[in-house]
Amino acid sequence: MISLLRRSLTARTVFATVTLSAIALAALGGFLSFSLANNFFQNRLSQVLSETERAVSSVQGTVAAASLADETALQTLINSVVPSLEVAGVSGARQVALLRSPGQPQLQLFQSPISQDLDLATIPAELRDGVRASDGVLTYTSVALVRNGQVVPGITVGAPITLPLAGNFELYLVFDLAPEQQALTTVQNALATGGIVLLVVISLVSYFVTRTIVKPVEKAASVAESLSEGQLDVRLAEKGTDVMAVLARSFNKMANSLQQQIQQLDSLSRMQRRFVSDVSHELRTPMTTIKLAGEVIFGNREKLDPALSRSAELMQNQIQRFEELLADLLEISRYDAGAVTPDLELNDLNAVVGAAIASIEPLATSKQTEIQVRLPGGNVEAEFDAKRIERLLRNLLSNAVEHGEGNPIVVEVGSNAQAVAVSVTDSGVGMTKQQLERIFDRFWRADPARQRSVGGTGLGLAISKEDAILHRGWLQVWSKPNRGSSFRLTLPISATTVIANSPLPLPPRTMEG
Amino acid sequence: MSNKILVVDDDDALREMVGLVLNAAGYHTVFAADGLNAVEVFKSEEPDLVLLDIMLPGQSGIEVCKQIRSLSGTPIVMLTAKGETEDVVHGLEAGADDYVVKPHNGAELLARIKARLRPVAEDGGIVSVGELTMDPRSYEVKRAGVRISLTPLEFKLLHTLAVKPQQVFSREMLLEQVWGYQYKADTRLVNVHVQRLRSKVEEDPENPKIVSTVRGHGYRAGSETP
Repeated sequence: MISLLRRSLTARTVFATVTLSAIALAALGGFLSFSLANNFFQNRLSQVLSETERAVSSVQGTVAAASLADETALQTLINSVVPSLEVAGVSGARQVALLRSPGQPQLQLFQSPISQDLDLATIPAELRDGVRASDGVLTYTSVALVRNGQVVPGITVGAPITLPLAGNFELYLVFDLAPEQQALTTVQNALATGGIVLLVVISLVSYFVTRTIVKPVEKAASVAESLSEGQLDVRLAEKGTDVMAVLARSFNKMANSLQQQIQQLDSLSRMQRRFVSDVSHELRTPMTTIKLAGEVIFGNREKLDPALSRSAELMQNQIQRFEELLADLLEISRYDAGAVTPDLELNDLNAVVGAAIASIEPLATSKQTEIQVRLPGGNVEAEFDAKRIERLLRNLLSNAVEHGEGNPIVVEVGSNAQAVAVSVTDSGVGMTKQQLERIFDRFWRADPARQRSVGGTGLGLAISKEDAILHRGWLQVWSKPNRGSSFRLTLPISATTVIANSPLPLPPRTMEG
Repeated sequence: MSNKILVVDDDDALREMVGLVLNAAGYHTVFAADGLNAVEVFKSEEPDLVLLDIMLPGQSGIEVCKQIRSLSGTPIVMLTAKGETEDVVHGLEAGADDYVVKPHNGAELLARIKARLRPVAEDGGIVSVGELTMDPRSYEVKRAGVRISLTPLEFKLLHTLAVKPQQVFSREMLLEQVWGYQYKADTRLVNVHVQRLRSKVEEDPENPKIVSTVRGHGYRAGSETP
C-alpha cells in the first residue's frame, strides 16, 4: 500500500482526495446529527413541560375542588387522579410517581401512587432536591430508561404539590424519548449511507480526473526515459493548446536540439577518429621507405666519419620509436572504429604468462630486476586471444620493470569458476590518487620529467585497457606512492561467462598491511 | 645466375628503395608502378618472384595476383598494411604465397623472399599419397597418369605432409617447414593454402582424402584410416 502510494501519482491523489473528503463529510454529518438531536430534544422538552404543567394543575385542581373528609378520601382521590396521568405503550410512554417529601410527620395510612413499572432510579436525588427548592417551577433532568432491555433516553420532570391533610408531595412524570431517538437514528443512518456513497463517487471522480491529467505526464515520462536510453528520435504528440501541449512542444524542442548536438558530436568524433586512422595509414608507405633507407645507412655506418655514424645510430633508434608509435596509433584507431574482433581460443594462461616473461627477461636482467612467478599447478585454461593477452602482459611487465626501482616484480596467476586472472606487482615508486585516475589515458605519463629508459609510446595502457574490454574482462590497478603498483587482469573463462569476482585480491597479498 | 624479382608498388620512393635493398642482397630487379602494367611486365620479364603491393591504381593487387596465377605458379609475396585483415585473406585466396606487413625492415623482406626462392625438396625420391604420385625433380604431381598443376608452394606443402604420412603436422610446424618462419606467424597462411591445395588434388574437397584435418592438432597426409 505504502509502496503503491509512493510509486503512483494517481493512487496518491485519489488517496488524498478521499481522505480529505471523508474528514469533511464526517464533520458535516456530525454537525447535522448534533443539531438535529438538539432540535428534537428541545421540541420534545417544551411539549413535555406543557404536558407536565397541565398534569400538575389538573391534580391540584381536582384536589382543591374535592371536599376531603379524611385521609382515606384523599387516598381514593389521589389513587384515581394520579394513575390517569400515565400513558402506556411501547414508545412515547409516560410514567408517573407521587412522592412524599421527606422531613414531615409520618402519615399512618396514605400511600403514594407510583406507576408499576417505574424504576425509581430514574428520579435522581439531585432532581428531588431541585424540585423541593424550585418554588413551584417545573424542574427536569435527562435520564436513561430501560425499555425491553434497551437503553433509551428519557426526561423526568417534577413539581411540588401540597395535598391537604397529607402535606408536601412531589409529582414526577417520566417521559420516554424513544420515538425521537428512533427518528434521529434513521436520519443518522441516512446521513452515513449518503456519506459513504458520496465518498465512493468522489474517489471515482478523482481517479478519472487524475488519470486524464497524469496520463499525458506518464507518457512524457516514458518518452523522456527512452530518450535518455539513447532513442534520440522519440517525440511526444503535440495536440491542442493546453498546458500538456505546451509541455509536449517544449519537450520536443529540447529533444530536437539534444539529438542535433549528439549527432554533431558523434560526427565530429567519427571524423577525428577517421583522421587519426587516415594519417597513420598514409604515414606507413613513407615510413617503410625511411626505415629501409635508415637500415642501409645504419648498416654501413662504419664507413662514415664518427659524427655521421652517430647520427645514423640516433636516426635508427628514432625510426624504431616512430614506428612503434605509428603501430600503436593504428591499433588504437582500429579500436575506436570498432574494427577489432578477438581471436578467441582455449588457451593456457600460465603458458602465455611464461611467454610474456621470457620476452621481457632481457630487459629485466639489464635493470637487475628479479621476476618472481607464482603460478598454480596444471593448466589455467580460458578462451582468449593469446596474442593480444601476451602483448598486454608484456606491456604490464615492461612498465613494472621501468617503475620498479630494481625491486623484485611479483607475477601471480589465479582462477575460479568464472574467471582467470593475472596480477603484475612492483614495489617501486607507485602513484598518487590523481595519477591513478589518468593511468589509462592516451599519451598520459605519470611523470613527464622522468627519464625513460624503456621507451613506450604512451598508448600501451590505453591499448591494454581496450584489449581487456574486448575480452569482456577487467584491467584494474592499485597503487600507493613509494609502495608500488599492482595491475590485475581478469578474464572470463569463456565468451559467454560473466565475471562476478576476480580470483586474485587487489591490492595483492604481498602489499597488504 | 641471380634471381629476378618484379617489384610492384605505386610509391616511387619505396619502389626504388626496395630495389636498392634487393640489389644489395644480390637480386636482379624489375619494376611496375600500377596494376595494369604489372601483368605486362610479368609476361615480358618472367621474374622468379613477385613483390606485390595490394593497394594499386589501375587494378588492385588482388586482381593482379589472380591474373599472374592463371599464367604461372611463380611465388608471390604481398605487401600489405597491417590491420587490413580482409585484404590479407583475399590476397592469399587469390594465390599469393606469403605476405609482409608494412612498415617492414629489410631483413624481414629478404627472409621471406629467400624462403620462397629456396628449392622445394632436396631428396629426390618419388612419393605417393593416396592415388597421387609426386616427383620432386620435375615438380610433377599425377593422378593415374594425369598431371595436376601445383604452384611450388603447394607442391612443397603436399610433399612435406606426404613424406611423413604417419605424422600430424601442426600449423606452426608447417609455417616453419614450408614457409620458413622461425617465430610465430599467421596460421591463416596454412588454412588458406590447404584449402587451395585441396581444391586441386581432392576429388571431393568437402570430403578430403589426400590432406585430412586432425581436429585440434593440424593436418596429415592420407585419410584417417589408411
